[in-house]
Amino acid sequence: MYKSILFLSLLFIWFSACRSNHENEQNPSGEIQLGISHTVDGNPLATDTLQYVNAAGNHYLVSEIQWFLSDLKLEREDGKMVEPTDDMAYYIDTDLPESRSIVLRNLPDGNYRALHFTFGLNEENNRSGLFVNPPESFMFWPDYLGGGYHYMKLNGKWINADGLAEPFNFHLGIGQEYDSSALKSSYIRPNDCCAANHCEGYKPPSKMMPVRAFIQNSFEVTLSQNFVVRHGMKTKLEIEMKVENWFRGKHVYDHNRWGGSIMQQQAAMKQGLENGLDVFALHVTSISDVAK
Amino acid sequence: MWRSRQLLFLFFLGMLLTACRRDKDQPIYNPVPYQIDIPFGFPTKLNIPSDNPMTEEGIALGRFLFYDGRLSGRNHPDSLMSCGSCHVQSRNFEAGVDHPLFESGFVHGLNGQQTHHVMLPLVNLVWNHSGYGWNGFLYPENPNPGLRNIEDFVRLAVQAKDEMDADTSRVKALFQTLPGYPELFFNAFGTEKITFKNMERAIAQFVRTLISANAPFDRFLRGEYQLTASELNGYVLFTTEEGADCFHCHGGGGNPLFTTHLFYNNGKDSVFVDSLDRFAVTGDPMHRGAYKAPSLRNVAVSGPFMHDGRFETLDQVIDFYAHQVVYSDLIDPLMHHVLRGGVQLTPQEKTDLKAFIATLHDENFLTNPAYGPPAYFPDESFKSDSHD
Repeated sequence: MYKSILFLSLLFIWFSACRSNHENEQNPSGEIQLGISHTVDGNPLATDTLQYVNAAGNHYLVSEIQWFLSDLKLEREDGKMVEPTDDMAYYIDTDLPESRSIVLRNLPDGNYRALHFTFGLNEENNRSGLFVNPPESFMFWPDYLGGGYHYMKLNGKWINADGLAEPFNFHLGIGQEYDSSALKSSYIRPNDCCAANHCEGYKPPSKMMPVRAFIQNSFEVTLSQNFVVRHGMKTKLEIEMKVENWFRGKHVYDHNRWGGSIMQQQAAMKQGLENGLDVFALHVTSISDVAK
Repeated sequence: MWRSRQLLFLFFLGMLLTACRRDKDQPIYNPVPYQIDIPFGFPTKLNIPSDNPMTEEGIALGRFLFYDGRLSGRNHPDSLMSCGSCHVQSRNFEAGVDHPLFESGFVHGLNGQQTHHVMLPLVNLVWNHSGYGWNGFLYPENPNPGLRNIEDFVRLAVQAKDEMDADTSRVKALFQTLPGYPELFFNAFGTEKITFKNMERAIAQFVRTLISANAPFDRFLRGEYQLTASELNGYVLFTTEEGADCFHCHGGGGNPLFTTHLFYNNGKDSVFVDSLDRFAVTGDPMHRGAYKAPSLRNVAVSGPFMHDGRFETLDQVIDFYAHQVVYSDLIDPLMHHVLRGGVQLTPQEKTDLKAFIATLHDENFLTNPAYGPPAYFPDESFKSDSHD
């Protein structure tokens, strides 16, 4: 009896090993190194330098960009989708070089025709408490404004109508629909906010108006580009964020119109997000041995 | 033959007894690993150097050293100074504006020299990965291995002219003579020979246990406490750009540390002359006038406020952010209300905001005996000099 069990065990191990080898032979795999770049007008982003002009004519600088890329998928030439990673989302930060390189291993050999991802986090995944560790947790989007996480923080300054470098926070995430029928007495009145001369004319938005509904603003990006994955080879791809395109395209985004903060201005976020469809591009930079 | 067997038996018996006696006489070094329980919503990544794992024994020793005034390397009652001399538990491990020795919370060393900046709290530092000090000059990736973590802060504080102004060789030699301490060092580090390195390690271990995570707001996050209407309004203000706009730097429900531990020019000034701002660390001119955003946990007892202690009360800080923010080219982009002078809060909004900030007051942390001074030190002849 004991010998029989031992024999069967050995047989099972042998078969398992054979099957494993067979699978490896059938599914040779390659690697993609996915870089993330941020450019303005075709040149690498130079932070904190006032040298850019957007479509609205705003002179501006960018200090930092932090954003989430999620739901990464690769599309084979036959239309089948490959999910290349178990990582649901990647945090990208212009100040953190290591965040701008993603390595995808054990990818099926073959020809591919597109890369897909979600800008930000999709509705199902974008939940408060998803990330507890920095820097991802620092991206939290307040619960009062819909919860979850910023899709992106793009911080900088623009030269406003008075010729001053005014800070802007081009922050994108869940939008809000405010209840305009709420009692006006619950709103903040301009006179309550600002009695000083230096802020004359400042009209704060109805910030304390109750929120009636939230609006999911994340969007899917499809970057059509042919590339190959070969066994033992590393294909280098690069996702380019063309920063200037956040401010042009379907809408000409004018900082003088929207001001420095837009987390509570769905109309402003909507403009940026609709422009966002043309913000990204995919480039094949090289293919080489994995060892290189 | 029989006799030689008897001799062999006696020989082995002798060896066995000798071995047993030696085991009994010598202390056993077997420290108990200390595991930090991660509070609800807190980060799981901890800043614990690989060469200083936390142990029960290390923490116990660190607590003694933290509060022992002989850390100054001196015995005279007028020359005692410990970490606890300035880092007072009930004041969020700062001096506090009501300290009996340090007027308005401006601390000075044994020789009377005032520190360059005011204090930062010792709270939840085990989650700080971005640098210690107002300008973050101690950080894990620092090319200088002596300027990386809390351990190094201990050495710098002991040596600093404006703090203990002590000689570390003298300090370790003094503690070597104090009954009870060598045994504690053995229990913590496996040797009775006291090194200053092990003193640094023990104190750093103790400091890493100083965790504040049971304020009313923590209980709110855990579903154990309902914020009042005023506190809720304050929370909304705290976490909205068009409200008080605190959350990007000071956290909130999604970042219960209530700091990013990062560095910002928050618009206090338009001219920057401080030689120890963030620029002193990074060399980036854009970082002039930038300092760490401190945690707001227990902030009401953490005054004076800002790196130079210019504000004594929390009301003054709120007024600053509401109406007195100053424009400069170097102001952080997150201060997007600057051209209006601040976030413009009404008196009621200020009241609500302050009510919310009060929910970050963790009385358990401020009174937990495990964090406080010991009644007696290992030599049983010396009482803590803490002003708690």
